[in-house]
Amino acid sequence: MYQKRSSSTPNAHGSSAPSESPFAKKKKSCPFTASKVEAIDYKDIETLRQFITERGKILPRRITGVSYFYQKLLKKAIKQARYMALLPFVAKE
Amino acid sequence: MKKDRKGLYEGMYILSTTLSDESRKKAFDKITDGIAQKGGEIHKIHEQGRRKLAYEIDGKREGFYYVLFFTAPTSSVIELWKDYQLHEDLIRFMTMRVEKVQETLEFKPLKPQS
Repeated sequence: MYQKRSSSTPNAHGSSAPSESPFAKKKKSCPFTASKVEAIDYKDIETLRQFITERGKILPRRITGVSYFYQKLLKKAIKQARYMALLPFVAKE
Repeated sequence: MKKDRKGLYEGMYILSTTLSDESRKKAFDKITDGIAQKGGEIHKIHEQGRRKLAYEIDGKREGFYYVLFFTAPTSSVIELWKDYQLHEDLIRFMTMRVEKVQETLEFKPLKPQS
């Protein structure tokens, strides 16, 4: 333990402001807002795939950082794509 | 009662791959003729070709995908659905209201996040 702590450079601590918590999370930004998307299409599978797990589940907003507005559109698009067999309901592992 | 309003619709259809090219064309004509008969008009047909289904539907693993953009009287769409359900070679279909016709089915990828 002692060895590990001493290995860090003394400058690493000095550079950060003392008020900043070491556990502060970086705020995620919405990828759809950043690209100024008008609507999310269910045929655009490449984009939709980024927001589902390998199993085929929809990823929660707290992980992907999608805004509330776009998450609602995304949910609808994924469910439409699933019905048309473009995306799986449950993917085999 | 209002007069027949018309709406712009988008339809996606999956046809069976067990058909020959000719009979598939016939099956697809059945869909387009049905829209024309009800007083609709087809604006754009996208043939997406043979594609693997994400899951098995009625023992089928592949399907031919078509995307149509058409205007039709709003009251006739329910009748169209009834026709589609009787259509034997149609594996799945979905029609919905859209704002505009998509001339190409290409999508911009999202901007990479820093």
